[in-house]
Amino acid sequence: MPDKRIDLPQGTLDLLILRTLALGPQHGWGISERVQQTSSNALQIQQGSLYPALHRLERRGWIKARWGTSENNRKAKYYELTRAGRRQLDSETDAWKRLTAAVAQVLGTA
Amino acid sequence: MLADLFFRARSLFRRKAAEADLDDELRFHRERQLRKHLAAGLTESEALRRLRMEFGGLDQVKEECRDARGVRPVEILLQDVRHGLRLLRKSPGFTAAALLTLALGIGANTAIFSVLYGVLLRPLPYPDSARLIVLNETTPKVGGVSVSYPDFLDWREQGRAFSSMAAAHNVGFNLSGVDRPESISGQAVSANFLALLGVQPLLGRDFNVSEERAGTAAVVLLSYPLWQSHFGGNPNVVGRTLALDGRSFTVVGVLPPEFRWIEKTDVLEPMGVWLTNNPAYGERGERGDTLAIGRLAPGVTLAQARAEMAGVAARLERTYPATNDQFRAELRPIRDVLVSEIRPTVLVLFAAVTFVLLIACASVANLFLMRGSGRAREMALRMAIGATRGRIAAQMLIESLLLTSLGGVAGLALAVAAVRGIAGLLPANMLAGASIDLDGPAVLFAIALAALSALVFGIVPAMHATRGSAQAELKKGGRSASAGAGASRWRGVLVILEVSMALVLMVGAGLMAKSLYRLFSVDAGIQTEHVLAMEVNLRTAQYDQSPARLNFWNRVLGGLRSLPGVQAAALGTGVPLTNDHSRADITIEGMTLPGPGDFPHPDVHIVSPEYAGALGIPLLGGRTFTDMDNEHALPVGMISARLARQFFGAGDPVGRRFLFGHPSSKRAPRWITIVGVVGDTKLYGLANPSRLEVYVPFRQEAPGSMTLLVKSAIDPATLTSGIRAVIASVDKDQPLLSAATMTQLVRDSVSAQRITMIVLGTFGALALVLAAIGIYGVISYAVAQRSHEIGIRIALGAQTGDVLLMVMTQGGKMAGAGLLIGLGASFWLTRLMSSLLFSVSAADPGTLAAMTFLLGVIAMLACYIPARRAVRVDPVNALRCE
Repeated sequence: MPDKRIDLPQGTLDLLILRTLALGPQHGWGISERVQQTSSNALQIQQGSLYPALHRLERRGWIKARWGTSENNRKAKYYELTRAGRRQLDSETDAWKRLTAAVAQVLGTA
Repeated sequence: MLADLFFRARSLFRRKAAEADLDDELRFHRERQLRKHLAAGLTESEALRRLRMEFGGLDQVKEECRDARGVRPVEILLQDVRHGLRLLRKSPGFTAAALLTLALGIGANTAIFSVLYGVLLRPLPYPDSARLIVLNETTPKVGGVSVSYPDFLDWREQGRAFSSMAAAHNVGFNLSGVDRPESISGQAVSANFLALLGVQPLLGRDFNVSEERAGTAAVVLLSYPLWQSHFGGNPNVVGRTLALDGRSFTVVGVLPPEFRWIEKTDVLEPMGVWLTNNPAYGERGERGDTLAIGRLAPGVTLAQARAEMAGVAARLERTYPATNDQFRAELRPIRDVLVSEIRPTVLVLFAAVTFVLLIACASVANLFLMRGSGRAREMALRMAIGATRGRIAAQMLIESLLLTSLGGVAGLALAVAAVRGIAGLLPANMLAGASIDLDGPAVLFAIALAALSALVFGIVPAMHATRGSAQAELKKGGRSASAGAGASRWRGVLVILEVSMALVLMVGAGLMAKSLYRLFSVDAGIQTEHVLAMEVNLRTAQYDQSPARLNFWNRVLGGLRSLPGVQAAALGTGVPLTNDHSRADITIEGMTLPGPGDFPHPDVHIVSPEYAGALGIPLLGGRTFTDMDNEHALPVGMISARLARQFFGAGDPVGRRFLFGHPSSKRAPRWITIVGVVGDTKLYGLANPSRLEVYVPFRQEAPGSMTLLVKSAIDPATLTSGIRAVIASVDKDQPLLSAATMTQLVRDSVSAQRITMIVLGTFGALALVLAAIGIYGVISYAVAQRSHEIGIRIALGAQTGDVLLMVMTQGGKMAGAGLLIGLGASFWLTRLMSSLLFSVSAADPGTLAAMTFLLGVIAMLACYIPARRAVRVDPVNALRCE
């Protein structure tokens, strides 16, 4: 597994969380599962750093939390995107695309 | 941003709930993950192991979450505060010393700031008061004088630099028709006076333009305090009447409570009423007690206004040479007029008190360093287990802040007492109506000061605590917990600073003491012992005629002489050191006539025969007045020695003649024959030169306002009630003004110097004590640290003298360095107070030397006590401690 794992560059964790929540409210475990699935297991969120990131995003007002009931009837803390969070996601996605495109261009011409 | 703060605050205040939420959230995650692993076929122990690997330490994650929620700084703060309070409780000696020092420093500063704010900074109760300019006339010979009313009218008409201009004439009234007749002060003002200031009557109406002209009905506006004290704040006061000088005045309104004028003001009357009763002031040559006030027109600067008014005054001088020769217009912002006398005192005191605070900070920093050395290991340990330097520095600063907050509270309490004391020392006429209270701005200042002090004295220990190497400190083990060279050096520097600042304060106090001594050694030309002075003003209509006044004064003098204990009773105008002065041009018979502005202009005293005797003014030639010098006799006068010297040289003035005013062909000259020459007096205060003086007998020209002088064999203050009874028996409606002993008047005349000396002396003594304690502390500590070394030296044969010398040298170096710096600083700083000094140079070598010596001796004494302890070190004990 270590060989398959990609270390997340600084700041991408936030982007992944925001992107995942754009699909709908989700709890922490669900977010980590979803990221893992959608990246075909290439990205694995360090579970220890997921929660501090969630709390930080909540403080910034990009996501908000409420207690809800999970699919198996357990009390779970669900996060959802706020309007500010959606804007943030848009601008970060945009920045990310430009970055990767630029990096790809450099790598391509090298 | 706001939402962020709100979020943090909620996390903080709902900390328990937030913690429980965090637990729930993380537990949910772990359960789900565990179930996932179990479902994938792992055994329970394998699943748990996997979970730990993926998740990391639970507590660490929680800590990071708390960090992410942004409540950590506040939590740390609370923790540090609790820790700090615990530490302060644990070392009561240190806490008490530091608190006392800070309370003194902050208290003294807050008290002086209250004075500074009340006197110099508090906004005046007029809108845009910076554009209010006080105008008066000035001549090269006398300096500032009142403006004559016709000159003012011309100024107002021609002065384009002002959007409006008003006159205010100082008036005294006898308020009768009340239980006890009393004397009150008022102003006769132009109709636009209040409008110009931007003040509206609280009740009733302002004066109108028609009331500026003579012949108008007698009306008054009451000051708020008079309305409260005499009408009980009755809202229906408008329309009621008031008996002033025996005349009935109708109240037309009440001034607002915040109204304040340059002179004490109980009532305002329109200028027209005053001109009706004093028609003489309609003449240009008559300069009573009038000031003009103007509001600068928009866009006009003070310099432009000065230039314009110089032109106006010059035109008047050309048009009216007889009355206006050499008269100029003087323009000053109203704030300067209000505070001109007291400003240097307040600024010097504020500078001095800043030094006191700096010394207090240095002392407390020293205490901190001393304690810090004991805590070096604690800090090292904390750094070793992961505390950052910033975190430790923050903790030290919080401890400082805790101390200064507590010290600030204690300081405020001290300031409350000190403000009352200082306000009591300041004479009311210097305050010019300024109120000195410990109010909002002063409290804010104290808070700012506490915070600033925490930074000032907290920064050194904080820097020091974080600079050391944790490893090195821990390696030393518990053995010495030595402060190391760094702390000692810092402490030395602080002590040097304390000594130097203490010297500056002591030199300041010394200079003031010397000035005061010199002032009191000045020959005032009068004997003040056992002389009581009391002003009496005859203003009612029954005294309009001179015989009635003369009758009153004669009966009063007779009554006073029969009082037991009275040695002499006299009357006079223009008594030295009072505010009553009157000057007039004189023409000496036979002199070459000078220009209208260059006539001799002596102070005029109208006196009873015993005047010179009661005040101990020596008779230098001729005779004094007698009861025979009355209205039927030849007009006679006495002159002062200075006038005799200046105008008669070596010749004998007795028998020569002078007249008041300039020679005129219109009326027959009233020549006054000089019968005596008396000594000069210090009319305008001990520090001011004596002036030309002439004396005329009151029986030939009985004035309405005179000062009673009673010289007694007993304490003159005990005579007050007897004197009041005598006056009441002559006229029961006659109010008395203040009674003061001449000694008191002399003291009041130097109150600025006196208060500066008292406060500087207190500060200097405080600084001396703090500096001595500082030296003592450093040397004691050094001796304790070096007791091992000293023990070895003694064991090797060092003599008592050697050890003593060694320790004293260390202290001597610090004291010497401090004294040197202090001397340099004194040399520069005491110049600031040169305007308060009298016949002492700001760099007076005697004072500098004396204070340096005194501080040096105290400093060496402070070293000597610990040095003696060093001598008594038992070498065996010292070595065994190893």
